[in-house]
Amino acid sequence: MAELRRDPIVGRWVIVDTDHPSAPGDFKYEQNIQKGGTCPFCYGNEAMTPPEIDVFREGGTAPNTSGWQVRVVPNKFPALGVEGELNRRPLGLYDMSNGIGAHEVLIETPYHAKDICDLLPQEVENYLKMCCRRAVDLAKDKRFKYLMFFRNFGSAAGASLEHPHTQIVALPMVPKNALEEIHGAKSYFDYRERCIFCDIIRQETQEKNRIILENKYFISFCPFVSRFPFEIWIMPKKHSGHFCYMPPEEIAALAVILKDTIAKIKKVFVNLSYNYIIHSAPINGDGEVEYYHWHIEFMPKLTQTAGFEWGTGFYIDPTSPELAAQYLKGIKE
Amino acid sequence: MPELRKDPIIGRWVIISTERGKRPDQFNGKQEEGVSEETCPFCEGSESQTPPEISAIRPGNTAPNAPGWEVRVVPSISPFLRIEGELDRRGKGLYDLMNGVGAHEIIIETNQHIANMADLSDEQISKVLKCYAGRIADLEKDKRFKYVLVFKNYGKRAGGGSLRHSRSQLIATPVNPKRVKEELSGSRQYFDYHERCVFCDLIRQEIEQKERLILDLDGFIAISPFAARFPFEIWILPKKHCADYTCQDSESIKYLGKVMKIVLSKLKKGLNDPSYNYVIHTAPFRRQKAGYWKTIEQDYHWHIEIIPRLTRVAGFEWGTGFYICPLPPEDAASFLRGVEV
Repeated sequence: MAELRRDPIVGRWVIVDTDHPSAPGDFKYEQNIQKGGTCPFCYGNEAMTPPEIDVFREGGTAPNTSGWQVRVVPNKFPALGVEGELNRRPLGLYDMSNGIGAHEVLIETPYHAKDICDLLPQEVENYLKMCCRRAVDLAKDKRFKYLMFFRNFGSAAGASLEHPHTQIVALPMVPKNALEEIHGAKSYFDYRERCIFCDIIRQETQEKNRIILENKYFISFCPFVSRFPFEIWIMPKKHSGHFCYMPPEEIAALAVILKDTIAKIKKVFVNLSYNYIIHSAPINGDGEVEYYHWHIEFMPKLTQTAGFEWGTGFYIDPTSPELAAQYLKGIKE
Repeated sequence: MPELRKDPIIGRWVIISTERGKRPDQFNGKQEEGVSEETCPFCEGSESQTPPEISAIRPGNTAPNAPGWEVRVVPSISPFLRIEGELDRRGKGLYDLMNGVGAHEIIIETNQHIANMADLSDEQISKVLKCYAGRIADLEKDKRFKYVLVFKNYGKRAGGGSLRHSRSQLIATPVNPKRVKEELSGSRQYFDYHERCVFCDLIRQEIEQKERLILDLDGFIAISPFAARFPFEIWILPKKHCADYTCQDSESIKYLGKVMKIVLSKLKKGLNDPSYNYVIHTAPFRRQKAGYWKTIEQDYHWHIEIIPRLTRVAGFEWGTGFYICPLPPEDAASFLRGVEV
């Protein structure tokens, strides 16, 4: 009998196929094969992007030239514009505003063909440090209420450029899914006076059957209510609403667990396309929130979501998270 | 300047990208050539290849599971949910779960090997639409179920697989899906304040403003919604207020068949036969209980949402519920109005 599981945070029900679970070999996914060609994110092509916003580079090299390790540039085709006022207004029964926001691209490495799992821990650390630095900087703009850090890797996951990169979008309102997550977490906190994410970590580290990796500061696990097969969450053990204030030792621990988790799943699924998103508390609103806990949600692109999921917000997971975790745990990096 | 638009029902914000946007005629939904199937289990004469039928339209009173049908409903071979058993709701630490009880049926829309519903006749589409109503009414009798979701996945990119025989699916669920709940509570909130149905207001405004209107015919309108999530997203709404899909009389079903045929044909012709999904949005089953929601008949309005699969949904959309639509719905509607079918 399949199981229906309810997400304890947002209340979403998911069908988990525990009867005839799909094994890794059952997924016919679109493999991500690089085609090459001129890349605006490679060394020597710095002039092909808008001028850099922030960068880690070797001493003595000039801005917008080679010699950088991590580079942040504005998105050449931004979804939102950074200049102007929001001007919220009605249109009959509808509400709208100008598309104000920031849209940046964080180029993680000069290497065109290296995913995070192929980098050195130190290089991943630099990438994460830059994420934090951009978050701190963008939060100074009081028009912004939410920062999205997300990564589309591979064309099936929506990446239009092959060179590994993370996108940053600063939004003038808190998006719907984030609001739901926050409301869910808050109502749990109101009732129990405990953070639901801290409780999840407690239960997961006790039950262990969904845990993939664990170190001093982080766990990576397949959530009890996975929407997608082999969905993975990486969570800090220490309670914090915002990711950008991590001390160096936590950044180092995150670099290792992120790198190793991606290495594992890419061993199971060769040339996998995937997305991950950093879920963090809203900015320029309430101060530090005791009920919200930042984390990373990692979604491998193995299946097509179809009409059923769109229409209902009701997902079907063909591989139980317990089984997925077991496969991933068994892989040696 | 791009615009941020808010869906008036569930409050979702969408970025309508007006500048980087492609022109409507630059979208191409062309599908890869499918492999030709040796035998199709959904064609007339192959009835034994499916599980025994649940219901069928058989004008000549032919025997079940034999040729001579027009529309045929069978259980899914690989059901997501199973019909037997109790729900057995339970907790596990802080998590909640229950057994996967439900129904999962396939509605075979024609006995011919035709892939796209757009290529069926008006009358045939109406028969399919009538069959939906019959199945929903029948499943309502099972007290374990709260909702029936009727949907279609056409083409590979829409999750329709490689078998090119026109069909839709339905799933009866023991819980109200989250998305449905959001729509219901959004509509109720609007009703509490205005004492009017938000969908009726929306229909009024769209007919007046015209720029997002694709079709206004025989009691239905087809629009590209103001806060469209996807390029060429289309909603079909009945002008007559009703919460339930099943409240339609045979005349309404006949007209809806005609409207569906025109809209799907426009999509097929204008966008090179794209993959698409559609979902019928209808009110959940009402079973009297304490705190029962009394205004649902007035505040909710059934409709159909059609989503052509022309772009890929990336991490941004999944993670935030915040969509970027690369084509203003006004441009999509104007393009579709111009497609002659």
